[in-house]
Amino acid sequence: MDFEPDAEQTEIQQAIDALLERHAGPARAIQLAAHAGYDQPLEDALHEAGFLGLATAGAGPLEAGLLVESAARAGAVASVAAAALVAPGLEWASLPRPIALADASEAGPVRFAAHARTLLLRDGDQALAMRLAEGDAAPVRSEYGYPMGALPTRSLDGEPLAAGSGATLLRWWRVALALEIAGTCDGALAITTAYLKDRRQFGRAIGSFQAVQHRLAECAIAIEGVRWLAREAAYHGAPDEAAAVSAAEAARVAQLVFAETHQLSGAIGYTREHDLHVFSMRLQTLRLELGGVGAHRRAVATSRFGAGAARG
Amino acid sequence: MNFRFSPEEEGFRREVRTFLADWAGLDGFFTQGHRWSEVHDLFRAMGTRGWLSLTWPEALGGLGRPLTYEYLLWDEVGYARTARNPLSAGIVARTLVRHGSDAQRERFLPGIRSGEIHFSLGYSEPEAGSDLAALRTRAERRGDAYVVTGQKCWQSYAGDMDYLWLLARTGAPDSRSAGLSLFIVELDAPGVTVGRLPIVDDHPLYEIHLDGVVVSEDRRVGPEDGAWALMSEALADERHIQFPPGRLRRDLEEVWAFLCEQGLERDAEVRSTVADLGVRVLEAEMHALRVLDAMLRGHDAASAAAANKVVFTVTCQAIARAAVDLCGPEALVQGTRPELLWRQSLWETIGGGTSEIMRSVVARADLGLGGQR
Ligand SMILES: Cc1cc2nc3c(=O)[nH]c(=O)nc-3n(C[C@H](O)[C@H](O)[C@H](O)COP(=O)(O)OP(=O)(O)OC[C@H]3O[C@@H](n4cnc5c(N)ncnc54)[C@H](O)[C@@H]3O)c2cc1C
Repeated sequence: MDFEPDAEQTEIQQAIDALLERHAGPARAIQLAAHAGYDQPLEDALHEAGFLGLATAGAGPLEAGLLVESAARAGAVASVAAAALVAPGLEWASLPRPIALADASEAGPVRFAAHARTLLLRDGDQALAMRLAEGDAAPVRSEYGYPMGALPTRSLDGEPLAAGSGATLLRWWRVALALEIAGTCDGALAITTAYLKDRRQFGRAIGSFQAVQHRLAECAIAIEGVRWLAREAAYHGAPDEAAAVSAAEAARVAQLVFAETHQLSGAIGYTREHDLHVFSMRLQTLRLELGGVGAHRRAVATSRFGAGAARG
Repeated sequence: MNFRFSPEEEGFRREVRTFLADWAGLDGFFTQGHRWSEVHDLFRAMGTRGWLSLTWPEALGGLGRPLTYEYLLWDEVGYARTARNPLSAGIVARTLVRHGSDAQRERFLPGIRSGEIHFSLGYSEPEAGSDLAALRTRAERRGDAYVVTGQKCWQSYAGDMDYLWLLARTGAPDSRSAGLSLFIVELDAPGVTVGRLPIVDDHPLYEIHLDGVVVSEDRRVGPEDGAWALMSEALADERHIQFPPGRLRRDLEEVWAFLCEQGLERDAEVRSTVADLGVRVLEAEMHALRVLDAMLRGHDAASAAAANKVVFTVTCQAIARAAVDLCGPEALVQGTRPELLWRQSLWETIGGGTSEIMRSVVARADLGLGGQR
């Protein structure tokens, strides 16, 4: 066991960060959000650098997971998790990008659907890859950090995978979600911490009040928990229970970090000039995806204790 | 102890309900910034009935009623979602009734009473939020006038208002709360610029720049350097109407209706969550009544009011979050009722004094824990 990245992982992480530094960041996210845009140049750059293929070529799902976490931390407006972690998890390597993830049993809007060329759909115990043409998924107005689209109403041509693939999709999606939440929470907490070191009231930095420190520390502890649960789950190939556990904890922590970073930022947290909203609003979308905390916890119970016999 | 309103008070509540039935479509509590002309008309109609001056002395054109009437009025208005209580008839009128000069009362009270003129609250600044006594906007004495320079921010609805209820520094820069004065300034006076702030959901908050604005001495309310006592008094004076439990009752009803529409009314998790929220709504109402009671007795209601604000605002966030939690991503589509409730509730624990500052008030005043802040 070793929690330190090895030389190769360090090198990958540095290369990812360097690329994200050039192409992503809150300013870019704000610019794109103004017209619900999608960062195709960023996705293409990640592809050209080989990062979207990390899970299959050379490295593995953990390294792909580090990419997902880092992209979220940089506020990237691109469907990185689907392309780098979830599709490879299904051994579906060369789907047309961008790829959006959807669950046929969920009625709500779908992240990235309006821009996607492939919809990776979980329909019960089967996964399907469906081609999307421009205009298939109508954009949905939302303030929650991602360009959203409505699932198309016309029937689509889909390429199904074998029975059981639906569960595989779900497992990888849960791990991806937990990694995205860890990275997004990092972004929100970093902005808040920096602000409160700077912001003075009552003659001292607000961050120096112990009541404030304890709450930020609680957030930091919770985010570390999510991070390592999610990395471990990716490393082991997204086993049922570990995937559900990391998603359940991530969805809980997403709400905690949302509430605390906003409350402790005061009024400025809700202005577009302050970067917090880039990360915080996303946490709402992420924490509700796939049925939210309740559904993830039910999955934990099922994978640990079985579905239980119905009482007659 | 007695937990009933009198027959006259209940009669007044019914009268208010009947009146509000005509305004049923006006969602002014949440949308005043977009529907000011209608909300303005509502205030005028309330003014005609004397409801914006319910508790003022009769000599000043008021109805001389006990505070209970005001509580009932705004509780019903909050439930009906028609509007939030206007600053003019609240903080401004109360301060003018107590501390205004005769000329100021004559000049402003009739327009406030009739619902015609409205004020924006000019307290916060970029460097003075929770620590209001740190504010920097200066009012420099020049003969029988003041020249005001500085910047205010987070002014609710300022773009639609007529006057700024301005707190500015007349004392030395380090005079903290002992060097502040209150002024009434026209929002269209030369040197005043009102700008919309870029808020995430276009919430109507403004910043106001004051650049050499000349304010005559007769627009200063209360003594020079003496604003702090007046302000604290006026803030505490308003706490029985600022957090109407009716709003929470309505929030919960709307969330329940939404859950039923989704076919979730028999779901055990849903029922347990709503039951918990139902408990909290009634608890919040008890806190609101505790504030009213303290005020009716003439007691200092500051810490009861601080407790009430925390309970009320945390409850309204919990109700809104439950809708989102239980209904999933659909609740995040702009324009749905739960989404609006959720977005509107986010602010409540910050505006009007944060929960942290409120808890500090309870800790110091009720528990005697000492400490500075
Ligand atoms: C919707 C809305 C409407 C508003 N309308 C008006 C208006 O009309 N007019 C007006 O003048 N202002 C208005 N305000 C401003 C409001 O009064 C301030 O936002 C509030 O006083 C907090 O100040 P701040 O936002 O600068 O937060 P800060 O004071 O910077 O506080 C940031 C965080 O630190 C915490 N904190 C600060 N000091 C301490 C401490 N000692 N111990 C522990 N925690 C601490 C705070 O509780 C908060 O969580 C409005 C604000 C909002 C959100």
